[in-house]
Amino acid sequence: MIPELGYAATVVGFVLALYGAIAAVIGVRTGQANWLRTGERAAIGVWLLITACIALMLYAFLTFDFSVRYVAVNTNRGTPFYYRITALWGALEGSIVLWAWMLSVYTLIVVVRYRRRQPELYPWVLSVMLGILAFFLLVMSIPAPPFERLSPIPPDGRGLNPLLEDSGMITHPVALYLGFTGFSVPFAFAMAALLVGRTGDEWITITRRWTIVAWYFLSLGLLIGGWWSYHVLGWGGYWAWDPVENAAFMPWLTGTAFLHSVMIQERRRMLKLWNLTLIILTFGLTLFGTFLTRSGIIGSVHSFTQGSIGVFFLAFLALALLGAFSLLAWRTDGLRAQGELDSAVSRESVFLLNNLFLIAATFTVFFGTVFPLLSEAVRGVKVSVGAPFFNLVNIPIFLALLFLMGVGPLIAWRRASAENLKRNFLKPVLAGIVAAAVLRLFGVGNVLVLTAMALVVFVAGTIALDYGRAVRARRRSGDGWGAATWGLLLRQNRRYGGFIVHLGILVVALGVAGSQAWQIQTEVTLDKGQSVEVDGYRTRYRVRFDGLSASEESNHGKVTGTFTLTDGRGKEEVLSPGRKFYPQEQTPIAAVDYRLGIFEDVYLVLGDFARDGSQATIKLQVNRMVSWLWIGGLVLTLGAALAILPDHRKPA
Amino acid sequence: MIRLVLTVLAASALLSAEAPAAVPVDERVVHELAAQLRCVVCQTLSVADSPSETANQMRQIIRERLAAGETPEQVRQYFVQRYGEWILLAPPKEGFNLLVWVVPFVGLGAGLVLVVIVLRRWSRNPATVSSTPVDPAMRERIRREMSGGGHP
Repeated sequence: MIPELGYAATVVGFVLALYGAIAAVIGVRTGQANWLRTGERAAIGVWLLITACIALMLYAFLTFDFSVRYVAVNTNRGTPFYYRITALWGALEGSIVLWAWMLSVYTLIVVVRYRRRQPELYPWVLSVMLGILAFFLLVMSIPAPPFERLSPIPPDGRGLNPLLEDSGMITHPVALYLGFTGFSVPFAFAMAALLVGRTGDEWITITRRWTIVAWYFLSLGLLIGGWWSYHVLGWGGYWAWDPVENAAFMPWLTGTAFLHSVMIQERRRMLKLWNLTLIILTFGLTLFGTFLTRSGIIGSVHSFTQGSIGVFFLAFLALALLGAFSLLAWRTDGLRAQGELDSAVSRESVFLLNNLFLIAATFTVFFGTVFPLLSEAVRGVKVSVGAPFFNLVNIPIFLALLFLMGVGPLIAWRRASAENLKRNFLKPVLAGIVAAAVLRLFGVGNVLVLTAMALVVFVAGTIALDYGRAVRARRRSGDGWGAATWGLLLRQNRRYGGFIVHLGILVVALGVAGSQAWQIQTEVTLDKGQSVEVDGYRTRYRVRFDGLSASEESNHGKVTGTFTLTDGRGKEEVLSPGRKFYPQEQTPIAAVDYRLGIFEDVYLVLGDFARDGSQATIKLQVNRMVSWLWIGGLVLTLGAALAILPDHRKPA
Repeated sequence: MIRLVLTVLAASALLSAEAPAAVPVDERVVHELAAQLRCVVCQTLSVADSPSETANQMRQIIRERLAAGETPEQVRQYFVQRYGEWILLAPPKEGFNLLVWVVPFVGLGAGLVLVVIVLRRWSRNPATVSSTPVDPAMRERIRREMSGGGHP
């Protein structure tokens, strides 16, 4: 019964979304408000239907309804309650349902917020959003039906991918998809602005805020993905340049480029065409990412099942890009703005360079990711493009971006005088050089790391300088400390929100530089009672093997090792890494244990072991500064929240 | 399940049986080599990073071959011959593969040229107004805020 209901809801949802998309256009063409109203009702209907799909799916999961193929593949009777809920988006079909649901929620928000405020753009925005929704519902109806029936009904299911049985499963995909789907809103507004021919200021203001929302969720999704990789996959890293990671990273880069170049349009009315291009590109890349990960054309740790779904995504991507760029070409004349510039040494140039490097990074990631396909098509030879390539090519680009991050916010618009440069940059540059010199004295030899650290100090210096100056100015005009510091953040929330986001990125950059530069790892086989020692930064760690124990969990067997970690100060701690044996998996899954620290994590993975518990092989790592990635994520959150607040500078 | 544990045990037995070390093996060289090779069973992770059994065995092969006196380059070639170019995480910088190394930088260079052209074109039109125009409302607001009573 459930599969039929769910399938019916999907198909009706598809028809309704299509109807609503067309009705909104008829409404605006004929000027009859009734058509627009039915379009709105269709949007509400689509949301209800997708919500119903999710409810039905949850019900099927919770009642072990193995007549639904998706349920049978992704759970078994042993799957814990919690993971039976998250299993909903644990594989291809369900993830599309979650995607569509979020899109329908965004559509509802658009209806509620803009039906009165943006009467001109709104119908087109609604139409585009419903059009995208129709596509996802089509995918749910034909190539990836989540409610496909399975017969005969098996007595038990296969079980969830063990790597997905983790608390990250609730946050990582949700944040990531909120980011991905969020970019549909700016895209819809861009299309509406082009269709109406109003590419002026309002759409830019709306689009900027929605882009920050999407960008923030995407950043969070990427960071949580890193955390997941770090504490679940057992390889001691957080970013592998996996095609799927790249797919999520590319729209992040172009979205970041847009958030910067949009400021040139706001201040100087230039780059309108370019900004629209960036929005289209970002949206296109979210679709491309989905295509890449869902079509199975590129092998990846995230691989989803294969099928005809790739063709659907490719066709829709082509359609969306073709439509969007045709519109853009049609409106080009109205978008050309006479560029004006007094000097190449100005904030405008820095923003252009910022965009150039961000697009170069996007292109590098894109080209590296698809190159194996190219190689196979042209030469018939399989090649891999992995971390060594991406690191080598991207690191110089990211260092350049770091540098620009320090220069951009403080250099003057139009023309920077020598006085302006000296006033703003002399002290931060000196601070950066001193920091590099000090680190060199402490034995940091890696040139890239030294450069990165110097740049981080330089950028932090510019931010501190600017903020300090602003606070002093407020103090002089009579504000108390509270009003001068916190009040300033709120009063100029966009500027300082941006600064805090920059600080967050700096903290993440420190984490990346630190963890790349110093990683200590050793692999050793220990007898029971035997210890191994590794040198950390300031302390020597000793890990003693105390024994093994076996246990039977609801859906897997587990062998847990007991290890005692002692640091130089004699503090003891028990670490219990294990190996999990799932009946549906051929190889055991590592259960990592670790001690996190601000500067160093001790990271322990259990390898092979003697069955009687007398011997165990462990991989022991001391990872430096990885925690800074997660702290940076928190800082980023604060900054993004501040930047989203309504603009206080607007004249009342 | 038991079969699994047994396989694991067999593998660990293999590990503990040390190869006769002719040349002392530098673990850093092993790591460096392993970082360039792709773990066969786990797609994008390197042999150095991967916690899988296969990666473990591949590291052991690297160790043994180095111990037998092979140069790192020979060990690399051994893996390439056995698995194909695919095993290398970064394609060798030769032939068709040069494209992947060169194109990003060509793109960056072309972009730089474009930025320079755009800047030059803009510079031909120096802004006509010497400073950003300040409308009276803003001027009033600045005055109010500077005088300290400027909370909206």
